[in-house]
Amino acid sequence: MSSIKESKNILKWSDTVELVDNLRVDEVGLKERVASLATRSIKKDSKLQALNYIISMCDLTTLEGEDTEGKIGQMTAKAIRPDPSNDEVPSVAAVCVYPALVSKAKEMTRNSNVKVASVSSYFPSGQAPLESKILDTQFAIDQGADEIDIVINRKAFFEGDYRKMYDEIVALKEVCKSVHLKTILEVGELRTYENIKKASLISLAAGSDFIKTSTGKISNGSSREACYLMAKAVWDYKTVTGFKAGIKVAGGIRDSKDAIRYLVIVNEELGSEWLNPDYFRFGASSLVDDVLKQIKKLKTNAYQSSYYFPRG
Amino acid sequence: MNKWEYAESIESSSIVNIDKKYGIFIDGNFQSANSKKFIKTISPSTEEVLSSVTLGNEIDINSAVESAKEGLKIWSKISGTERAKYLFKLARLIQERSREFAVLETLDGGKPIKESRDFDLPQVAANFFYFAGWADKLDLSWNAKGLKPYGIIGQIIPWNFPLLMLSWKVAPALATGNVVILKPAESTPLTAILFAELCQEVGLPPGVFNLVTGDGTTGAALVKHPDISKIAFTGSTGVGKYIQKETADRDIGLTLELGGKAANIVFNDAAIDQAVEGVVNGIFFNQGHVCCAGSRLVLQEDIHDEFVTKLEKRMQSLRVGNPLDKNTDIGAINSKEQLDKITNLVNEGVKEGGSIFQTDCELPQNGFWFKPTLFTNAQPSYRISREEIFGPVLTTLTFRTPEEAIEISNNTEYGLSAGIWTEKGSKILWAADRLQAGVIWANTFNKFDPSSPFGGYKESGFGREGGRHGLLSYLKVQS
Amino acid sequence: MNEIKKTYKNYVGGKYVRSESGKTFRIDLKNDFYEVPLTSRKDIRDAVVAAKKGYSNWQKLSPYNKTQVLYRLSEMLEGNFETYQQLLQDAGLTKAKASEDIHKAVDTIIWYAGMADKWEQMTGNLNPVAGDFFNISHQESLGVVFTLNSNNQSLNSLLLNMLPALTVGCAVISFNEENSVIALKLAEDINNSDLPGGALNIMSGKFELLIEDVSNHVEITAMAIYKEINNHDKKIIKENASKSLKRIFINPPTMGLEALFPFIETKTVWHPKGR
Repeated sequence: MSSIKESKNILKWSDTVELVDNLRVDEVGLKERVASLATRSIKKDSKLQALNYIISMCDLTTLEGEDTEGKIGQMTAKAIRPDPSNDEVPSVAAVCVYPALVSKAKEMTRNSNVKVASVSSYFPSGQAPLESKILDTQFAIDQGADEIDIVINRKAFFEGDYRKMYDEIVALKEVCKSVHLKTILEVGELRTYENIKKASLISLAAGSDFIKTSTGKISNGSSREACYLMAKAVWDYKTVTGFKAGIKVAGGIRDSKDAIRYLVIVNEELGSEWLNPDYFRFGASSLVDDVLKQIKKLKTNAYQSSYYFPRG
Repeated sequence: MNKWEYAESIESSSIVNIDKKYGIFIDGNFQSANSKKFIKTISPSTEEVLSSVTLGNEIDINSAVESAKEGLKIWSKISGTERAKYLFKLARLIQERSREFAVLETLDGGKPIKESRDFDLPQVAANFFYFAGWADKLDLSWNAKGLKPYGIIGQIIPWNFPLLMLSWKVAPALATGNVVILKPAESTPLTAILFAELCQEVGLPPGVFNLVTGDGTTGAALVKHPDISKIAFTGSTGVGKYIQKETADRDIGLTLELGGKAANIVFNDAAIDQAVEGVVNGIFFNQGHVCCAGSRLVLQEDIHDEFVTKLEKRMQSLRVGNPLDKNTDIGAINSKEQLDKITNLVNEGVKEGGSIFQTDCELPQNGFWFKPTLFTNAQPSYRISREEIFGPVLTTLTFRTPEEAIEISNNTEYGLSAGIWTEKGSKILWAADRLQAGVIWANTFNKFDPSSPFGGYKESGFGREGGRHGLLSYLKVQS
Repeated sequence: MNEIKKTYKNYVGGKYVRSESGKTFRIDLKNDFYEVPLTSRKDIRDAVVAAKKGYSNWQKLSPYNKTQVLYRLSEMLEGNFETYQQLLQDAGLTKAKASEDIHKAVDTIIWYAGMADKWEQMTGNLNPVAGDFFNISHQESLGVVFTLNSNNQSLNSLLLNMLPALTVGCAVISFNEENSVIALKLAEDINNSDLPGGALNIMSGKFELLIEDVSNHVEITAMAIYKEINNHDKKIIKENASKSLKRIFINPPTMGLEALFPFIETKTVWHPKGR
């Protein structure tokens, strides 16, 4: 099939329709494969390498109604220097905040490599007209956001209006231009693997740089099965268009052990080219602390407590 | 860009205690055999000698039969409930010593510890539990009058799943009131020997379970013995035919579970990514040392290139190496003999015109190893398409119509298993009706359960093991 | 008679609870006397809520896992042999009879444990219908079941009243009267086992006070009456049951495949066979 790209990686709608033609996924088979990948035993040097990868791939996140500039100050300091007692620990990839806190976050990270990501498009529900979502997004970009995390229009998706879902992402990517765009699928609401695969492929075809699992605002967040499926979508998309997209997993990844299992999926399904912040991210808050404890334990051989690490 | 290499994560073998020499297990304990010959059993991943076990002779077989006769006297008098309790205790002990058994199995046979730990051992325990639960309710199993145990059963098992095959044989035999003489495979006797120790520990009445190690001559002696009421054999089709011929002049029960050349059929409306997983699992699980392995990929032509590309990529992520490393997917080939067989057939395949793909991996210096291999552009007439290779080698054949898929799949003297990959339910059922195979896996492969009957059509054998139907292999109808 | 009163609680939803009414009734055994809960209609209501949750959790276990749970229970009973022996003697059995009863009880659990992953193979089957159809009948458990247990001072008898429904996957509300002491003692082993909370609930009381509430409760799918009751009570139960088609079983068998029949429902599935 032809892949006519109008922009960096946008497919025409007609090509997108072809892309989502074979969506067959067997749930039991998929779960078995993911469970099998989870039996990998990651120890010693490979564990330390993984832990450092995880930190470098984290988007340290705060998306609360009660966020203030003070809170952003604390978090950005932690983002830049997660463990003051250990200079070998890298900075995180980004901080992720609401649009109203973007300028503060930008100010606090100006002397670092930490990016500022903002949610927009009426995060987390997306239940608003496109015009409002465009305004929301434009505001965040004007405030200095380096990255934008939008949500797909689930209302349109569940009503079967995939064209509308696609058009919205195309329009928001227009606003973003060269700003890195992550599109949140909210896999906990999509539920079935066919839905997740469909939403993944449409989001990629509409111009997303990353597809992201969840908003972190509903009880069903990310899952390794969703990550695996999205990796398959990313690989198939690359096979068809040559474009390499990224994946962000967010919502419910609380400890290093789980995070390492995600890395195993990416490593074995996509390859080590994806194991860097340009192509894989963890949306997290408490995960960072657990990783820091694990890094310290590998160095000192003693179990750690979180009060050794600064609050973020 | 840094690759992320996994560090070694070796399961310690200090948990196992292997004696230098083993006798035979009869009359409820280990004894010196009449035979003064021993065979070495080695670890196929390192070629290190693990132990020496008795090469049992005819006299040893005879002693085992005498021991079994005594065992039968006791075993036939106790209730089903009591039999159940022995089996239940064995199941418990196997569960408790799972890790030890798993490490021993990996050492002796070469399969990855991940498999022996996560597949073999749980299945072994489950089999003993399942059949324990039949022992006290055989009257409910079949509404057929006059089903009675055979008596003394000779059981010969292969080297690919040593302890699992032991459980498939011993558990139902004992549950139904029979007594057993087991002859394990020449290259993998150690877990059977450890199992015999468990029999002692639970106080199984002497003679109920008997173990005579050895080689083909030992097995032949067992088959020939006139006081055996039934032979249960799992192994190659060649030996199975020999046994059927040898026992022709006797009224003796016989079940055979033999080789296969199973077709794994992938239709164009399959869930492709899961089908790739199923095909990989079907042939590379246990290094392809599986009688029901999906060794022929029967692929719908219009998805050939897409599927093969995905398959080769997936194969490349298979990790070949030290079976005791928890991250190893593909272990050692069980013996030099088997390695030579595989190598010869693969060379033939290339000569006949097949295109070969092998994964790019480093094989250890010592031990017996073979890279995961895929043949495309193969014809149904090639030896690699017809003969059982019993190694990590997959041959691809294409089809255009559903009828053709069935024809190609049935075009073999074997009939053990088959795989069907399609998301269309009616097609699964249509195809299942037409495939000449005893076990059909739709949208999955290599699934086993103690309650699910297993066995072949045609020259893959006769009789079923497992489930309610499997009981009929161990209960004869009194005429 | 010892003056030290022993109190037992009901076992509901995996927890020990008093009757919300605060009421108890007294059971006098040979040496000791006991206060056990006088279960009220509100207790029944709460038990049904717990049993529904327990049903959902018990369903999640594979048949193999169910056998493992029940086998462990048998091991625990064996481990507490002396406790049960003393209790049964106090209930009037001789030492030898008590011993025999406990051994039978263990064998009963083992029989049912080994049944949990087999009964479907005995009750289900393929149906040879005319036409290009695959047709299979398989059985599912009913849901929440109320059992009125017999008054035998016997551990084995008690288990025979609890296990049939439980083994096929139902959640059970096991109601006891004169044998409540043994029943509520057993609850301790149930609690220590891996049985999900709410799958088996054990309660004491006087059934005559609850006959209307139980037989009218729509979410109790079936009642198995193992105790001998009079015709008048049978009529009340069945008439109330008719309002929601509750299934009623009077004196069902307690052993054999037949013991399971009351607690299962057949589901038949058709699917075409074609290219």
